[in-house]
Amino acid sequence: MVKLVFLGRFREIANPALAQVALPGHVHTLAGLRDWLAQAEPALGRALESARTQVAVNQAIVRDPSHPIANDDEIAFLPPMSGG
Amino acid sequence: MTIRVTEEAFDPGAEIAAFNTALNDGEGPGDAGALASFVGYCRAATAGRPVGTLYIEQYPGFTAREIQRLADDVSRQLGTLDLLVVHRVGTIHPGEAIVLVAALAAHRAEAFEAVRLLMDYLKTDAPLWKKETGPDGARWIEPTAQDHARRAKAGEQV
Repeated sequence: MVKLVFLGRFREIANPALAQVALPGHVHTLAGLRDWLAQAEPALGRALESARTQVAVNQAIVRDPSHPIANDDEIAFLPPMSGG
Repeated sequence: MTIRVTEEAFDPGAEIAAFNTALNDGEGPGDAGALASFVGYCRAATAGRPVGTLYIEQYPGFTAREIQRLADDVSRQLGTLDLLVVHRVGTIHPGEAIVLVAALAAHRAEAFEAVRLLMDYLKTDAPLWKKETGPDGARWIEPTAQDHARRAKAGEQV
């Protein structure tokens, strides 16, 4: 099982059932996870596509799409930030 | 250094007074000669459209830590003596303070610069997501081209 966190406008599109999810056996990397999400939830997949979407694994930003995913990871999808 | 991400409304004047007192109580750095601050408020209208409420979402834990990292960077760059950031999250009404940044330094130049630089960082790099609700519905706000230009000028990824 992994924990998926969707922030901001992604949260409004994402299926709440994705918060705790068992990934299929062939999903081992962030790129694989994004492909799987795009198939399972096309609207969410399109929203995540932007080059400005950032991904955090266990609360640290990761830019490498080949980053491996381990059981119990917390993976967050972050739209462009707008603080201040 | 104090970083606070809070759902509660706050009084910027009281926060600044407390920040100042903490530095002059004999325990803080004694060479502080300048305090600069900035307060961002929730506007009643944006470009002529009334704003009902503002909603700001955080990523609990991550957000405060990232703001801390940005503040550490500003402190290192400018040699400030202390920094204060208070950022609201949740539902915010017009007239309420959204963000307070204050800097204590030996002299005014570093204090002004620290506040400006940290605000530039917060606009594009703080993990916060802002949604405006007005009469024509709600929309998520993203940094403007101007915010990105200011951030680019402020420095590379920290």
